[in-house]
Amino acid sequence: MSTQHERTHDVAVATLTDDVWVTIVWNDPVNLMSYVTHVFQTYFGFTRAEAERRMREVHEKGKSVVSTGGREQMEVDVQAMHSYGLWATMQRSGQ
Amino acid sequence: MKGFVSHGDHAVAELDADERAVIARVVADVGLLLGDTSFGMEREELPAEGDEESLFRYLQGLEESLSDPDDPAVLRVLPNAAPDDREVAAEFRRLTEPELRATKVARLRKMWEALSLDGPQWEVAADEAMATAAALTDVRLVLASRLDIETDADATALHEEIDLAHHAVETGAAADLSVDPERVWLGMLYQALTWLQESLMAYVMRDDV
Repeated sequence: MSTQHERTHDVAVATLTDDVWVTIVWNDPVNLMSYVTHVFQTYFGFTRAEAERRMREVHEKGKSVVSTGGREQMEVDVQAMHSYGLWATMQRSGQ
Repeated sequence: MKGFVSHGDHAVAELDADERAVIARVVADVGLLLGDTSFGMEREELPAEGDEESLFRYLQGLEESLSDPDDPAVLRVLPNAAPDDREVAAEFRRLTEPELRATKVARLRKMWEALSLDGPQWEVAADEAMATAAALTDVRLVLASRLDIETDADATALHEEIDLAHHAVETGAAADLSVDPERVWLGMLYQALTWLQESLMAYVMRDDV
């Protein structure tokens, strides 16, 4: 949970430097809802309810922004998602 | 086949010898796709065409397609991190791909070793369960690529196609329906791995709140 709070703090700082990136997880027909929920919960430190909400957003709306921060941090997050077999991309915020 | 059930600090599934052999083989195929090294001993020769008794006959098409370095299955397992920005995508691949491949191959190898032990039980320790679930995901992504499953609707259609094929075989109408035996066989393997992963996730998430 503490990591999540630190991340939110980083976002505020990154916004000021005008170089905010986001990690997006996209829907795919292979990944299981349970598995995606557990990955979100354990990697991002979301509560079960928040992880399920994001998973449903991916499933129903096609994508969800799962993290925000500097480019290097987003590379770390996308690599982690790819290691779990999730379809994740990164881009500048607002792009 | 019996899905994973909790035994406290580990989960156990049960597979018969043929199921283990087929799953171990496809796990090794995905390992080879990502890591360029074979698991275990020298790969036996593929069965000759027309060998109806061979356990692996419907894996032949998959294995041939995976030997092509441009096979789209690789992109399912190691996707483009920035489809709209070539520079970012290339940088990401340069920085992360060797480590991602090594991680995935190591997980597949561990799973292959567990499947290569004798006996019907497939034991997965609690601290190995997510690595096994991730390896199962990679194998399912590769099978999904071969099966052209790109949307949720494709996945639903595959399930219906397999149900229909079952019905056709039972009623002797398979020839009329032009059932593709390789596709149905790979589809059933995909379904079995999905079901195994679901049961493993129930174990992994038993204490999630």
